[in-house]
Amino acid sequence: MIVVEGDIDLYSSPELRSAVLKAVPKAITGVGVHLGGVTYMDSSGVATLVEGLRSAKEHDKTFTLLAPSTAVMKVLELARLDSVFEVRSA
Amino acid sequence: MLADDIRLQVSSDPRLLGVIRGVIQVWLEVLGLLIDRRQEVVLAVDEACSNAMRHAYEGRTDESIELVLSASNEWIEITVSDQGTPCPTECSEYRPLLPPAPHEVEPGGLGVKLIHEVFDEVRFCPGTTRGNCVTMRLHWTAKNEVDSED
Repeated sequence: MIVVEGDIDLYSSPELRSAVLKAVPKAITGVGVHLGGVTYMDSSGVATLVEGLRSAKEHDKTFTLLAPSTAVMKVLELARLDSVFEVRSA
Repeated sequence: MLADDIRLQVSSDPRLLGVIRGVIQVWLEVLGLLIDRRQEVVLAVDEACSNAMRHAYEGRTDESIELVLSASNEWIEITVSDQGTPCPTECSEYRPLLPPAPHEVEPGGLGVKLIHEVFDEVRFCPGTTRGNCVTMRLHWTAKNEVDSED
């Protein structure tokens, strides 16, 4: 599981992208990204999650957003991408 | 409303995006914009600044971005300007946000769509040889204002 806290923006999203794209091929069944501590997310964060989802599909793995904060859900809803991801409350 | 515009000049360094967001957040709070709308406006302005950093300045962190924040009884207006490479017109055109089919989900190109989604009026003005300017305007409506919550 990848735990993310704080703001995800143009400055911080490359680190998340690297972590996600490394984790996917190594995962046995799939990757969970815990987003409960995320205070802000921009389109670069959304793009990173979309890349993770695509990579997981290519590797035949699952990609799950765990306990996304309201800040995360708000931007996903605004981008009309909230239904694209598998979301679990915890 | 506030008597004067606020002008900010910041380096094109992504580490400063948090500072920009903080200033916009407090300014919108002072103006009395509803918290949900505040978060959306902060996001859209962040996207405009990120576009200047990524595309106009191609990642160079020592260039300049200027923001002008102004408000009247009818609207809130934020202008973001840079002196970088002009954005191709097709990159700033309005494209509606629609829920994509799972196989059609693309990771990029979302920033401009979010800007159009959040603001009532958006005007992109790329320079002929240099620079970009995006003016984003939100109209005051009863549902935007804090006082209308009760």
